[in-house]
Amino acid sequence: MKVSVVIFPGSNCDRDVKWAFELCCNADAEMIWHAEKSLPSDTDIVVLPGGFSYGDYLRCGAMAAKSPIMKSVAEFAQRGGLVIGICNGFHILTEAKLLPGALLPNASTKFICRSCQIKIERNDTPFTQLYEKNEIVNFPIAHHDGLFYLDDDSLTKLEESGCVVFRYADNPNGSLKAIAGITNKEGNVLGLMPHPERVVHPLLGGEGGVRFFKGLSKWVKEMR
Amino acid sequence: MCEGDEMNKIKLIYEGKAKKVYETDDSTLAIFEYKDSLTAFNAQKKDTMQGKGRLTNLISATFLKLLQDKGIPTHFVKLLDDNHQLVKRLKIIPLEVVVRNTSTGSLCKRLGVEEGLDLVPPLVEFYLKNDELGDPLVTEDHIRAFGFASKPQVEKMKELSLKVNEILHKFLSKKGIKLVDFKLEFGMDDEGNIFVADEISPDTCRFWDMTSKERLDKDRFRKDLGNVLEAYEEIWRRIADWEKSCSAEYRANILVYLKEGVLDTQGKAVLSSLYSLGYDEVKNVRVGKYIKITLTSPSQEDAASRIKEMCEDLLVNDLIEEYSFELEEI
Ligand SMILES: Nc1ncnc2c1ncn2[C@@H]1O[C@H](COP(=O)(O)OP(=O)(O)OP(=O)(O)O)[C@@H](O)[C@H]1O
Ligand SMILES: [Mg+2]
Repeated sequence: MKVSVVIFPGSNCDRDVKWAFELCCNADAEMIWHAEKSLPSDTDIVVLPGGFSYGDYLRCGAMAAKSPIMKSVAEFAQRGGLVIGICNGFHILTEAKLLPGALLPNASTKFICRSCQIKIERNDTPFTQLYEKNEIVNFPIAHHDGLFYLDDDSLTKLEESGCVVFRYADNPNGSLKAIAGITNKEGNVLGLMPHPERVVHPLLGGEGGVRFFKGLSKWVKEMR
Repeated sequence: MCEGDEMNKIKLIYEGKAKKVYETDDSTLAIFEYKDSLTAFNAQKKDTMQGKGRLTNLISATFLKLLQDKGIPTHFVKLLDDNHQLVKRLKIIPLEVVVRNTSTGSLCKRLGVEEGLDLVPPLVEFYLKNDELGDPLVTEDHIRAFGFASKPQVEKMKELSLKVNEILHKFLSKKGIKLVDFKLEFGMDDEGNIFVADEISPDTCRFWDMTSKERLDKDRFRKDLGNVLEAYEEIWRRIADWEKSCSAEYRANILVYLKEGVLDTQGKAVLSSLYSLGYDEVKNVRVGKYIKITLTSPSQEDAASRIKEMCEDLLVNDLIEEYSFELEEI
């Protein structure tokens, strides 16, 4: 399985993601600089990792969303390719309009960095197939701008079309409907604020994220 | 014609003293071909000068473009090549409007006044377009009485002529040229909108060099002063680069604010700080962004549309934010 991890100026979870894919599913993960115009042709999964692209200036993810590489990421998604945005990667996907909604500053106005209970809303996605439906997993969060926002009508539509995949059990940041992660309508683009790549080994304090990566690898194998 | 240009001259509609007018595939447009011929005193004096049509075409296109950029509606669409330009095909109002900043020519002859007097405010005169009668001067009452144009049309023509005067005067003085007087024609489209039509060139204006007072216009031909083409060349040389030199600097002050109903955590934090300082009367605080951009642009309109693009492209997320901006020339 070939994973392309995009590095933006200010990304800082890129190597964690690469390492998690290598550890959990022996994947071949390649770092792609944001100024590149195209993704490696054998890419199975694209990851936009967490961090503080462009210092979070203007709006989180706004400038990264206009990077040269994002055009081919959008085309890759259009063709049905799996795209994952974690934390700042989620910001970038919403700013690039590959996912609906926006992420506002946390309701508490504070940066929150702690482990979090996350409910798996759906286990029929490429990202969650190895979890149980409604299972609670521990994924850490570390963000200042994680309050998921969408206008009422679109939010209702989002819920109705089953695009909410992860929900906070305790809603630490004030997200509408406690939403922690969503997919697009087609189900191949995922954005989530929690960091599954930070819980893939007991030394990291948990292994709740292992099945996220293993599930992806299984999915890709079966699709081949 | 330009190679690959889709506009075709279909049929000659009119051949005047200075231009040929052609019909095009598009019935709302016409092609002007500027000729090399020169005429004066209602065509009693005639000559041709190779290259003159090119100069009047290019100069006219430049002035019309400049006016358009400053918000004056003109018939100009685009330059096609050295001798042709595409214009809106209009119904010409049978009046020539003359604006004078300095007394000279027929004005001095008719009224016996001294040449070279500064006319402040400028004079606006109407002449009936009628070659047989020698384009006689008419008053606004004549125009109304004989229906040459309606009152609102006369007012509009006057208003536009004075604006054109202001723009050209300002522009030309930067080029060392004194705009002494000029003639405009106006036309209407099917909806009755009025546009500046015909041409603006040394054939239809008087230009004096500011320092040498040398005539740089058709007076050289009328009065046999010689170097006619050279004078037209000189005008073209001085204005040819206007698109670069004329682009002005603008400053946009952009305000970006969260839409009503979108939670503003910063505003909330500031509000509670204000309360703790004792500002109990505060009802609500919303914090937005102020973005100041300076840019160069050929016109204010152009600058505004570029700023709008920037807002939509990057500066504003329309899902959660709204914006407004003010633009000023600096
Ligand atoms: N946008 C326009 N649409 C149609 N006709 C136009 C337009 N602009 C100018 N005209 C007319 O096209 C002709 C241009 O030719 P030219 O200037 O050579 O004419 P002229 O010999 O000066 O004669 P005239 O007395 O008719 O102006 C003029 O009759 C002018 O009024
Ligand atoms: Mg004419």
